[in-house]
Amino acid sequence: MAAHKVDVAVVGTGPGGYVAAIRCAQLGLSVAAVEDDRPGGVCLNWGCIPTKALLRNAEVLHLVERAADFGISVGEVRADYAAAVKRSRGVADRMAKGVEFLFRKNKITLVPGRGVLKTPTTVSVGADTIEARAVILATGSEPKSLPGVAIDEQVVISSNGAVRQERRPASLIVIGAGAVGVEFADVYRTYGAEVTILEALPRLVPIEDEEVSTQLARAFGRRGIAIKTGVKVSAITRGGPGAVVETDAGRFEAEQVLMAVGRGAKVKDVGLEALGIAMERGFVRVSPRMETSVKGVYAVGDMAGAPLLAHKAMAEGVVAAEAIAGRDPRPVDYGNVPSCTYCRPQIASIGVSEARARENAREITVGKFPFTANGKAVALGETEGFVKVVADKATGEILGVHILGPEATEIIHEFAVGRTLEATLEEMIHTIHAHPTLSEAAFEATLAALGQAIHI
Amino acid sequence: MAVSKVVMPKLSEAMETGKIIKWLKKEGDRIQGGDILAEVETDKADVEMEAFGAGVLRKILVPAGETTPVGSLIGVIAEPNDDISSLLAAAPAAVPPQPRSEDPAARQPSPASGPPAPGRPVAVAAPAAPGSESRPPEPAALVAPAATSGGRVKASPLAKKIAAQSGVDLRVIQGSGPGGRIVRRDVEAAATRPPSAAPVAATAAGPEYEDVPLSQMRAIIAKRMPLSKAPVPHFYVTSEVAMDRAWELREALNALEGQPKISVNDLVVRACALSLLEHPGVNASFQGEAIRVFHVAHIGIAVALDEGLITPVLRDCHAKSLTQIAVEARDLAERSRARKLRASELSGATFSISNLGMFDVAAFSAIINPPEGAILAVGSVRKVPVVDGDSVTVGRRMALTISCDHRVMDGAMGARFLQDVKRLLEEPLRLLV
Repeated sequence: MAAHKVDVAVVGTGPGGYVAAIRCAQLGLSVAAVEDDRPGGVCLNWGCIPTKALLRNAEVLHLVERAADFGISVGEVRADYAAAVKRSRGVADRMAKGVEFLFRKNKITLVPGRGVLKTPTTVSVGADTIEARAVILATGSEPKSLPGVAIDEQVVISSNGAVRQERRPASLIVIGAGAVGVEFADVYRTYGAEVTILEALPRLVPIEDEEVSTQLARAFGRRGIAIKTGVKVSAITRGGPGAVVETDAGRFEAEQVLMAVGRGAKVKDVGLEALGIAMERGFVRVSPRMETSVKGVYAVGDMAGAPLLAHKAMAEGVVAAEAIAGRDPRPVDYGNVPSCTYCRPQIASIGVSEARARENAREITVGKFPFTANGKAVALGETEGFVKVVADKATGEILGVHILGPEATEIIHEFAVGRTLEATLEEMIHTIHAHPTLSEAAFEATLAALGQAIHI
Repeated sequence: MAVSKVVMPKLSEAMETGKIIKWLKKEGDRIQGGDILAEVETDKADVEMEAFGAGVLRKILVPAGETTPVGSLIGVIAEPNDDISSLLAAAPAAVPPQPRSEDPAARQPSPASGPPAPGRPVAVAAPAAPGSESRPPEPAALVAPAATSGGRVKASPLAKKIAAQSGVDLRVIQGSGPGGRIVRRDVEAAATRPPSAAPVAATAAGPEYEDVPLSQMRAIIAKRMPLSKAPVPHFYVTSEVAMDRAWELREALNALEGQPKISVNDLVVRACALSLLEHPGVNASFQGEAIRVFHVAHIGIAVALDEGLITPVLRDCHAKSLTQIAVEARDLAERSRARKLRASELSGATFSISNLGMFDVAAFSAIINPPEGAILAVGSVRKVPVVDGDSVTVGRRMALTISCDHRVMDGAMGARFLQDVKRLLEEPLRLLV
């Protein structure tokens, strides 16, 4: 039985936890970080990073299959899905090692095991105890299921199973058309599976701008992905090729079902109830300094509420660390968190949708630019999609930006910076964009919002 | 045939916005080059704006009473059949009217109290309210000229736009962004705050204080003076001048029929002009990497106004006779008070003079007006007992204090210049040759 005495104990080393730990160390605090899996959490090991590796495989496969478009003949194309998963594991391993390295570099003590908060200053890990002046909880989240449906990771799988399994089912039903659902639909479809997406809401990626949903549905449809929206699943049973999904729009059968209906905070057996830490709709309630209702106990990342995004968790981790170190951190601006989905074409957005902007009863202006009119996109042969800029008419404030298309997830950041600096359309259009770049589409959409687009 | 844009002219170096006081021409009027189109209020003075092109004033884009950034399109002159639609389309949508004071007294707070006189402004306006919060109340009477003022006010572009549209003056807002930057929420908070309480119905004792909104000129002075005093290392050299002979000369000159009246200040201006040519080190400006030494003497002469002061420039004083100086200085002072100065008369001084002589001031020191390197503060000509050998007689004496930028010159240089000015005034016939 070992006892650690540190300034800060961090429970969970996903993006929220490990960033908080490193930031604490940078600010001169001694840190012990508790992890019952590998450092890096779901993001590095089972989420963002390995799925990006799989999506890259899908993209390469797609490119090879259309090599003829570029005048390149490749003969018979054979894609080994198991190899794709192995590669993905390798990528995840490398990133997790990276976090281990950063912990060593910052002299953070890694305590393996499951951390349970015993008092506001004590975390127990198995037989060990950590005494800390402050505790940062960052236990993350896990996939949710539908009521009465058990995830066995064999027939009914979650993203956890999907990212691990080396087999590619012949057919797959994806329940839920959020980021996780459409990304796996993309991977499996590219590798040749018959994919059906069932979504309860009326459209794909329902939190995105409607136009993004419409065009994505079109793109997915062309690739042979079956899409059923506004569908309510009533039961999932074993049968047929593997699973039978009963819905109000009929029966669907497939070898596997991927449950992608969202994630819930991992808040059980963390020690929250015993200390009376306040919750709010299943998540831990936190102040703008990321402190829970119990003084000295902080919570960051997925367990602290939406949006459940790694980069939001990292930002919160920094805030918590700086608050503990006695700094006066600038609170996370939840209205300015970019949202990125890595299906093909990619989706990226920030701020509000056009519909929401209109509901807010402001007079708005909308500028849109298609990638078909962007030289770089044409040269790449990736012309699907558009950039849409929604701005306040009177002030030119950038209310929201929605991108569907090549490298959308990279292009979005100029708008994130712009919004942080409170730039208006005027400043954006006086920023020279290099030619030829995909980012010019962002520039042109901004010009279009002012009625000044050149290339359309 | 030519279409000419009428833009808000940059009438002084520091000018960032200008307010159209009134248009002297209306849409449809035929314009000759040089016609006065409008009167513009700048940070320093009201200035007449000349037309550069000829044609018909086809469009006025910025109505009277509104403030607009330097360089923005405010009107179009063209022939009646010229197509100006593209020009108009490119012009920013007219800014919605900004709330302005309905009370002209807000800008001209008090009736003239005594003769306006050159000199430093007397800082009486807007004392900090006792116990007032750190965030000053927002004067409702101000439009938002700083909303477009580039680097001077640290504010986000969005904050500036919202301020311009809601009539919030960014100069009186405290920023909550990084480094005190004014961001949107600050402006929105200011816009929803009730305007500062105008003095309520007087109680028996009357209110203990009132907050007088800053006139544009006062606001600019308030903003600029610390920028002058803090970064410019001032040093001061004072000298006493025997003014007996100068006084006699002036009386003699003023007794001449048909000759313009000469003031003491005119004598000082002339003495400085001559001395500046002899001491170019004082007639110099700090330029960061170099010291710019002038071979001409453009002298700024401070003129007090009710709401502040301005320093119109009497150019080429070194080449002007005492009479010319007297005539032109008087004209400048009068037009300053009438706010009828031209743009060229508001900038370009190489040296300045501030005279509080008419207020029975023994001596004072002035703040340098960058980028000038020095300013001379002139006290009253006073009768004082003078030791003459073993007896005491009555003499006229005047104190001169020069404030010098130590980056440009040292004490001895300022002292030698002052010595020369003193010699010229004590041997005043030299001023006539």
